Amino acid sequence: MFDLLLHSTTSACDGLSRRHFIRVGSLAFGGWSLAGWCARSAQGGASPVRNKAVIQIWLAGGPSHIDMYDLKPSAPTEYRGEFRPIATNVGGIEISEHLPLQARVMDKLAIVRSAWHTNAGHGMGSQWMLTGWQPTIEVNNNIYPACGSVVARLKGANDPELPAYVNLPHALGLGKAAYLGASYNPFAPENDPNQDGFQVRNLKLPGRVDLGRLGNRRSLLGQLDTLRRDLDTRRDMQELDRFYAQGLEMVTSDKALRAFDIHSEAAPLRERYGRNDLGQSCLLARRLVEAGVSYVTIQAGGGWDTHGDNFKQLKDHLLPKFDRALAALVSDLAERGLLNDVLVMAFGEFGRTPRINSGAGRDHWPGAMSVVFAGGGLRLGQTIGETDSKAEYPISKPYTPGDILSTMYHVLGIDHHHVFYDPAQRPLPVLPEGNPIPELV
Amino acid sequence: MRPAKEWLIRCLVAAALSAVLLPAAELRVSPKQLELRDPFARQQVLVESAGADVTRQSRYVVADPTVAAVDETGLVRPISRGNTQLTISYGDASATLMLSVGDLAAEREVNFKTEIEPLLTRYGCNSGGCHGKASGQNGFRLSLFGFDPDFDHDALVHEARGRRVNVAAPETSLLLTKASGRVPHGGGKRIEPGSDPWQVLLAWIRSGARRAAPETPSVERIEIEPAERLFPPQASQQLRVTAFYTDGSQRDVTRQADYASNLDVVATVDAEGFVTAQGGSGEATIMARYMGQVAVFRAIRPHGQPLTEIPEFEPAGEIDRLAAEKWKKLGLRPSPLCDDATFLRRATIDLAGRLPTVEETRQFLADETPDKRVRLIDRLLDSPDYPSYFALKWSVILRNSRLAGAEQAAYAFHNWIRDQIARNRPYDEFVRGIVAAAGEWQDAPAINWYWQSRDDQLHTVTADTAQLFLGLRLQCARCHHHPYERWGQADYYGLAGFFTRLGRKSFGEPPPYFNAANVTTGERNPLTGRPPEPRFLDGETPTFTPEQDPRHALVDWMARPDNPYFARAFVNRMWGHFFGIGLVHEVDDMRGTNPPSNPAILDYLAQEFLRSKFDMRHVIRLIATSRLYQLSAEPRPENEQDRQNFARFYARRLIAEVLLDAVDQTCGTRSQFSNMSATARAVDLPHEGFGSYFLDTFDRPQRVTVCECERSPGATLAQVLLLANSDEIENKIADGNGRIARLMQAQASLEAMVEELYLAAFSRYPTEPERRTAGDYLTSAEDRRRAVEDLLWTLLNTREFTFNH
Repeated sequence: MFDLLLHSTTSACDGLSRRHFIRVGSLAFGGWSLAGWCARSAQGGASPVRNKAVIQIWLAGGPSHIDMYDLKPSAPTEYRGEFRPIATNVGGIEISEHLPLQARVMDKLAIVRSAWHTNAGHGMGSQWMLTGWQPTIEVNNNIYPACGSVVARLKGANDPELPAYVNLPHALGLGKAAYLGASYNPFAPENDPNQDGFQVRNLKLPGRVDLGRLGNRRSLLGQLDTLRRDLDTRRDMQELDRFYAQGLEMVTSDKALRAFDIHSEAAPLRERYGRNDLGQSCLLARRLVEAGVSYVTIQAGGGWDTHGDNFKQLKDHLLPKFDRALAALVSDLAERGLLNDVLVMAFGEFGRTPRINSGAGRDHWPGAMSVVFAGGGLRLGQTIGETDSKAEYPISKPYTPGDILSTMYHVLGIDHHHVFYDPAQRPLPVLPEGNPIPELV
Repeated sequence: MRPAKEWLIRCLVAAALSAVLLPAAELRVSPKQLELRDPFARQQVLVESAGADVTRQSRYVVADPTVAAVDETGLVRPISRGNTQLTISYGDASATLMLSVGDLAAEREVNFKTEIEPLLTRYGCNSGGCHGKASGQNGFRLSLFGFDPDFDHDALVHEARGRRVNVAAPETSLLLTKASGRVPHGGGKRIEPGSDPWQVLLAWIRSGARRAAPETPSVERIEIEPAERLFPPQASQQLRVTAFYTDGSQRDVTRQADYASNLDVVATVDAEGFVTAQGGSGEATIMARYMGQVAVFRAIRPHGQPLTEIPEFEPAGEIDRLAAEKWKKLGLRPSPLCDDATFLRRATIDLAGRLPTVEETRQFLADETPDKRVRLIDRLLDSPDYPSYFALKWSVILRNSRLAGAEQAAYAFHNWIRDQIARNRPYDEFVRGIVAAAGEWQDAPAINWYWQSRDDQLHTVTADTAQLFLGLRLQCARCHHHPYERWGQADYYGLAGFFTRLGRKSFGEPPPYFNAANVTTGERNPLTGRPPEPRFLDGETPTFTPEQDPRHALVDWMARPDNPYFARAFVNRMWGHFFGIGLVHEVDDMRGTNPPSNPAILDYLAQEFLRSKFDMRHVIRLIATSRLYQLSAEPRPENEQDRQNFARFYARRLIAEVLLDAVDQTCGTRSQFSNMSATARAVDLPHEGFGSYFLDTFDRPQRVTVCECERSPGATLAQVLLLANSDEIENKIADGNGRIARLMQAQASLEAMVEELYLAAFSRYPTEPERRTAGDYLTSAEDRRRAVEDLLWTLLNTREFTFNH
């Protein structure tokens, strides 16, 4: 596929971006402070993030904004729900009582309460939020490239020995590379990092094979794999050779194994993230971006599609896990001095109907949703935008999927106007609309 | 490096000699006379000597320099009214043309539609990456590629409080100051102040910035000169583009058209229409586009000296003969025929979607009859594997999915396709069964094709029909004129018009579909504001009674012998299946600006397809029994740059389903798929919903699009880890009932084991060195069984295994 850089910055935000780079520059320098360095050194060899990276927590199903970050205690009873707001460590900002750990790190979070779009279907809404493009038909795969694939294509991994784009614990159905080509699909361990014997699928040597035997095989392969490499016209043979070299290097050197080795984390830290798939995926994501992966999307737990029994589901299962995982991730990144390099974002495909249904549930609602940002050198400790008294629609600063995702691309230094060509040779920019959210950047 | 340098020196010497010693070759100059009627008229002169373009090497002298001027590129511009002569000289030869310039003082109005819009296109202002995209750019939006002049006129003249175009102070108009970079512009500086386009914009604003009168003539077609050129390396060619208008007038638009090359390694083109041959050999198509019209120039860079004969290649039929004709012209020599083992593996993969068995291989290699390759093709075409494999192929691009409750219908549709192919149903009837499907899915399973488009049915079905059965990518024209074709919205909505009366009941998944008496869609043709009305792509507008199903008329039209798309689209798709790329590449992107690499073969196969009354098997047999299909994939120096003319076979990776089956067949194992019989192979799966990490890792299509390109050949890390380092493959290799287990149990000799593994994986006997290497490995190993497993692992991880070559 070709691609084409139409312009490197937009004139609309020229002034802003210059200021931004100066600011990021100084903060990034702060990220290399002695305290941060010592923290990293103490971990024994965890290499620092040289470049920016993203951890996206994908709350598949559609998290209930009105029960989490945008509570409306004075709304009519059929709207407001059971939960009460609590104060956070930032004066004036209140969030759900079932997010107490996040309330204590609110100064490290920013909540956009005024995100919205118009598609209430899981498939299409998910594609919109994961790619920035609203698809026209509901199909199995994302039609436009997922953000992680775009990052893999335009930025690559921070450490070339590691994959650029990882999904945890499984590959997302709608997280693929589409017309960028399968080479930019996500890499996934396909196993739950909370399991005792967790390992990446096919990264550890198979049971009957040890390093010596693999060595023998590779040497035999070297002797018998004699087909000429110029038999095809697309260089697919050489491309495959390159992936063989990288793949077998990953198996034999311990860099990737170490990056994925969640067992080497101390037990108290693992507890702090929560001993469940979401918590441990967040911890693993931190290890991966530290080692040089540039984009991690986490879809763990699931169950946010609370059509029935919304409040019980949230307070008993969903919120405690998510509260703990995100709070631990943000504080851990901060303690390691990585908060300026690593952007964390959490959202789903839409919010949920503020009006409670007859089954004590809430249904699909794209009219308003809350998006959480942390790190990435953004301006944190704030909420952005407001919804109306029933949390149904934004009444100020309405932000689109393109606004949300261009903020992320902005942090990574990726021009979201960059143009790719799809199979019909249509020039398609990274995002069809949107600009970085000015309150954040 | 050195030969190139030597060659260059030789050329320079030759050029110097020819300039000094050779008698002057005659100059061929066009046009024969020059007439420039207004200040913005330009005329590109083309000069040719001894078959080569020398436009930029010639000297130009205008007898009366107050009348006109010529620059070094041969572009003539008017200065003042008068008649004079232009003398062109090159070497010792010269030619003189009459040159007349009309009354320039009578300032003529610049026409927005015919003169301003082309500039907005030429300088990229209205492209999809800039102001042409649906959301515009910084509040300024133009219609994509200028298809809506009224809209654009409003945007320029009436929006932004008149700042974009200021008639009172024309030079302060943002249109000029932004485009010339005097005011910061996100798109940068696009035109030079004072340049020709700048002058045209200025003149238009100065004269009142009016919109075009409704009767303004539009461009009917454009012509590009010359049409084709055979290039030595580094040679160049100036093009000339002329626009012909609906009022019969014509105009040189060489400097207003925009240009693109489809193969930059062969030839590049600049903004002035100047083509330069590059290092690569082959054929490049240079497209010129102006006001929605396109024309092409073929730049041919031969691979070697033209050949009069190719004695080493004996054509077996028309395909071979036509391919060889092309090779002679290009100086291409084909690789030799591949050996029997390679051919057996290649044909079995392409026709049956599997590897040959060990027994088949032994028999085929032992067979000494001369026609055994042809008989192999016939045997494979008669085997049940052919319909099974081609059912997979069609099922994927017909997007036969189990989504939206269609699990059972997907099985039924898959089986229906397989049955159609097994019975070798005429292709037009096969297509009728899909395009005109009606009824309940149990009787007409092809309605799943409609059901899988339910979210955007009219548009998806329209675009899919064009792409699948006509080889036309028409979807661009839903919203705007196709940028590389003559198709516009009228054509798109004309095709859509055949699908507007499709009704569906409100029960069932899929529900029953029927032909309704009235329009059932709420979609409108934006040009008319009414529901789309049927119109064939060649312009006829049929009418239908409420009882008639327009879709049948559409299929009738497709199957007409004079339909230029239907037969060609099919034979090209089949060609792509067997040769890796189509005669037109991509296989479903047939358009004037994307010409076939060998038009004669395409025509021949299309005629054969028509003549045989759409016999699919006949076309496949013609292709698969050609010598062309038997060529080795190993390049020889004379064809190593060939990637268009099939002078060698182009190797490609096995597709996901075939690769998984190949692994299983080689290991003597089977993969299990839930709810499928134990004997079902991956190629037999009727829809995309059968969980398989292997298939997903090798990018099994999710049946999202109609495009064969949904299968990406791209390699990934996960693929390598799966093949080289997984329990999944390890378990197959060491399976207790697998090939190795059976060989061990039978106490086969080491030699026999090596031989069988080679036959199973590569469909050939091992060579002597391979026997030695493998034998040494096995005999020196402590654990013999593990060593045999290592050998099988090795074979599975070679390119010879994963590629069809």
